[in-house]
Amino acid sequence: MEKKPFLSFFVLSSLLILVLLGFVLPSGVRSLVIQMMIFSIFAMGYDFSFGFTNQCSLGHSIFFGAGAYGAILFILKFKLGVILSLVIGMGIGFLLAVILGLICVRLTEAYFVIVTAIIASVFHLLAMDMTWLTGSDDGLTVTLPTISFGFTELSLYQPMVNYYFVLFFLILTYLVLNKMLKAPLGKIFVSIRENEKRTNFLGYNVFGYKLIAFVVSGVFGALAGGLYALTLRYASADYFSFYWSILPIVWCLIGGLGTLVGCWIGVMLMSLFQYYVSAWFTYYLLVFGILILVILGVSRKGMLGYLLSLRSR
Amino acid sequence: MPEWLTTVLFLLVNGLVWGLIIALIAVGLSLIFGVMGIVNMAHGDIYMIGAVIALTLFPYLGNFWLGLLIVPLIIAAVAIPVERLVLRPYEGHYSVTMIATTGISFILQQVILATYGGIPKQMVNPWPVTFNLFGVAYEGYRFLIAAISILILMSLWVFLYKTSYGILIRASIQDRDMASAMGIDVSRVLMTTFVLGSILAAVGGVLAAPVTQVFYLMGNDVVLLAFIVVIIGGLGSLAGTLVAALGLSSLEGVMSSVLTPIQSKAGILVVMIIILMFRPRGLFGEREG
Repeated sequence: MEKKPFLSFFVLSSLLILVLLGFVLPSGVRSLVIQMMIFSIFAMGYDFSFGFTNQCSLGHSIFFGAGAYGAILFILKFKLGVILSLVIGMGIGFLLAVILGLICVRLTEAYFVIVTAIIASVFHLLAMDMTWLTGSDDGLTVTLPTISFGFTELSLYQPMVNYYFVLFFLILTYLVLNKMLKAPLGKIFVSIRENEKRTNFLGYNVFGYKLIAFVVSGVFGALAGGLYALTLRYASADYFSFYWSILPIVWCLIGGLGTLVGCWIGVMLMSLFQYYVSAWFTYYLLVFGILILVILGVSRKGMLGYLLSLRSR
Repeated sequence: MPEWLTTVLFLLVNGLVWGLIIALIAVGLSLIFGVMGIVNMAHGDIYMIGAVIALTLFPYLGNFWLGLLIVPLIIAAVAIPVERLVLRPYEGHYSVTMIATTGISFILQQVILATYGGIPKQMVNPWPVTFNLFGVAYEGYRFLIAAISILILMSLWVFLYKTSYGILIRASIQDRDMASAMGIDVSRVLMTTFVLGSILAAVGGVLAAPVTQVFYLMGNDVVLLAFIVVIIGGLGSLAGTLVAALGLSSLEGVMSSVLTPIQSKAGILVVMIIILMFRPRGLFGEREG
């Protein structure tokens, strides 16, 4: 518990910096920061299932892609508003997470990772195949309507609006997930992670709780996908690819599993890395692969986990 | 014979031939999982590398069959350090091995993309003979693939069940700690298994090179099918893997007469999910032990 002040200091200062930065950043860096914030939402959601209940899903690209296409398609085909489409995207993510969860969550660890990966690859193949719906590799572009609040109208085409729109969801995600983890639910999650059998003996419905974690994680994956698609005004079948399932794992591993906010560090480092390395090196994925091995070799607790263990000593 | 029956039989035979190649790959995957506890995402890339090396060596060797003998040696030389230096600490932690082998998979794919290029190529047919199969001309080489695969699978069976080293491997599958306590050099068994599994995949790649497109992502499709096969057959169960490989591939072959390839993949996914609902450990998987 003595870890608490350090963590809340980290969170508060990061969020404060983000709020202030919105005013001063030049546009190029601003879009990079927007991307980081979206990825942080994805990563926090992922940490919720991997870091707290030890479910290493390799199928989160499904939720990311579903959220993205949910948001884009409902604007494109039904002319719905931005927020409503985003929520519908999350709803689709929710449904998919429930269905996948019912299939996968009760499997043992080895089966879980493989089956989630298989289902995600088939989704990717289907998304590539159904060109009439998804636009396949070329993807779909969309013109966003303005968001109307009654007294004022905002357009996501203004970089400033886009920035604070995403920041709002980042803070919301943090508050919701943190609230759930501070509640008794979070304690049960940790006890499942530490010893699943014993938690079961204590009378808790392990399957139910793991399903909750999986579904919540999927919903925030869909939110991140939706925001990403709205920011780029674009969605393609590539969002379902395996790369998007591996990224959240890497973010969480670099930043620190089971800390909820540690992944922010991972996202920041990886985004900078990606931004600069992919610019001068064609075989960027080669470096990415080496990086995965290095991270696993150095420590599986991540940077924030390492810092926390120093403080509690 | 009515025409639809000819088509179905033709696709069935085609599916079975592919099923045997998939069986080679999936048995290797299952063996590596059973003995070492590694979920090997890079297995499809070993298959790809087998095909690429065979294709690259062909102009120098001038002989396809010589390539089939040399490729396993090269693969063994690559697989031993990978197992020893990279994967050894993670063995038994399924999620971690899966992430680590994904990293290896990225590395292998990009190295091949950088050296060999991204354009799909095809190997010349080493045995250009055609047979008359139900009134359709059928490549003789595909029958040869089937024969060689069956031969390899049979010798694998003899190795695992009739030789003393095979007993050591099977003992390590059943209980690694106990095997180690009985004085078995488990470390060497692990290395042998990884090399053996990788060679099976690479040989699958060499055999498939003349009948498929050889390029750096060719492993992705195959490893997907191999994983489905291994899951349905039951992780670590070799007999289950073999049965599932042949069953699924012929099912996919028959389904592809009415569906597009991707729809039949989705159909196989549905089959997998239904089987997992009733048997969460696959058809031949062991109960919790």
